[in-house]
Amino acid sequence: MRGITITLASLLILTLISVVFANYAHGYMVFGILILAALKFIGISFCFMELKKAHSFWKVGLLLFLVLFMISVLFLAK
Amino acid sequence: MESKILNHKNIYYPPGGILIWIIIFLELITFGIALIVMVFYGQKELEIFHTSRLQLNTTIGTINTLFLITSGYFMARSVSYLRKGQKEKSSLFLKLTMLGGLFFLGLKTIEYYFKIEAGLTVGHNTFFTFYWMLTLFHVIHVIVGLVILTSVLVGLRKNPSKVAIEDVEASAAFWHMCDLIWLLLFPVIYLLF
Repeated sequence: MRGITITLASLLILTLISVVFANYAHGYMVFGILILAALKFIGISFCFMELKKAHSFWKVGLLLFLVLFMISVLFLAK
Repeated sequence: MESKILNHKNIYYPPGGILIWIIIFLELITFGIALIVMVFYGQKELEIFHTSRLQLNTTIGTINTLFLITSGYFMARSVSYLRKGQKEKSSLFLKLTMLGGLFFLGLKTIEYYFKIEAGLTVGHNTFFTFYWMLTLFHVIHVIVGLVILTSVLVGLRKNPSKVAIEDVEASAAFWHMCDLIWLLLFPVIYLLF
């Protein structure tokens, strides 16, 4: 129970950081926003959805989707 | 409460069940491809996408993100309490989860109202076509999620002994899927351009 509460606090802080980052940082803005979004995605899937308890197939599958999505967006938005 | 011990390390029994995870992957791939196409068009019409993005209310988007994340947290706690047999606490957290979803829908309605008032409808430009299609499709998922959670809540109230933890886990996985989709939509639509 303590683990998911810590995850919640981290997710809320990461959300606020991503908004501040989008408004003030320019150099690596796209990269920074996507990394923060990926961290939140992992937090929800592995902690709230308990994917950490699942077979590696599901963990690798979700991470593969995330990496492909992030690389595609980064490649197109550069 | 009906339950059987499942080994989630078995490839056929991920938390929530294999069917809901197949749906989650299909949904993520669908939204993912749509967002990649949006970024592709964004690079072709950079100026339009930038000025359109500035017409969105980032504060509302941020607050909605906080609502959905907190709602997901309540859902995780509800499932956790149900596993321990604490049905009262599970119901309470389930109601809080649904409240988060309703707040999300309320804010989204306000946001949509102001967009329509300003004439920023689906055909305004390419950015707003993607904005309306993707966010409305997500809203439909949130509404379906709320209907599913309502059925779980009714089950917990009327006949808790018949509620299977696997069904609640599957409902929770669907609700968390709405969080995951929003976590992809929010940065691309509200922050990126």
